[in-house]
Amino acid sequence: MAQARTSTRGGDREARIGRTARVRGRVHGEGDLVIEGAVEGDLAIRGDLTVAEGAEVTSSTVEAHEVRIAGALTGDVAASGSVRLSGAARVRGNVRAAAVAIDDGARFSGRLEVEFELPPELGGASRSEGRGRPAARR
Amino acid sequence: MASTVIGAGITVEGEIATDEDVIVGGVVKGKLSAKEGVTIEHGASVEADVASASLVVAGSLIGNVSASERVDLQAGARLVGNVKAARVTIADGAQFKGNVDMDI
Repeated sequence: MAQARTSTRGGDREARIGRTARVRGRVHGEGDLVIEGAVEGDLAIRGDLTVAEGAEVTSSTVEAHEVRIAGALTGDVAASGSVRLSGAARVRGNVRAAAVAIDDGARFSGRLEVEFELPPELGGASRSEGRGRPAARR
Repeated sequence: MASTVIGAGITVEGEIATDEDVIVGGVVKGKLSAKEGVTIEHGASVEADVASASLVVAGSLIGNVSASERVDLQAGARLVGNVKAARVTIADGAQFKGNVDMDI
């Protein structure tokens, strides 16, 4: 009773690795990706990445824009946007992002690098707008 | 509703194995096996051996196919590889090069 549906909702459709799917290899490209199953390999997505609860990602590098993790992820994450670990997340690896949120219950082991500038009165370098005012950012 | 969808902009280089079904809109290079149906959409490009219950090809597939039920090549499909399946349909306009074994 294989239902083969070719529905093209045009353009970037959300890509999904289903719950019973196991992918071993590199996944890259444009568009958002939701992982519900198991992926072993590097991810480089120009889009948002969601690791659902119950999913397992084992990688050396994960690159995406926004990253939401509710499952297990082993590997280094580099996000151009924000990274959010929900309560069920289990992350082992270094995370570099513009912003990070870690919910109560999440387990994380690794280094966090969140880029931000301290205002000059706290010792951060002021952008050479000269005047010693904290540089307006974001 | 497909459980695994490889969207149009996504490339997977490696093996995909699932107990459910798969829709490929992007690129898969390696190996693809599903316990249910596989659909290769128009515009998708798969270079992999495919093993599944059924297979619908509307895009491009280079690889051998082993389907326990059926294989359907739609108009615009391009398949280079051997097909082993109980039932096969090839629509007018599909391109195919390979052997067909319906195990008769």
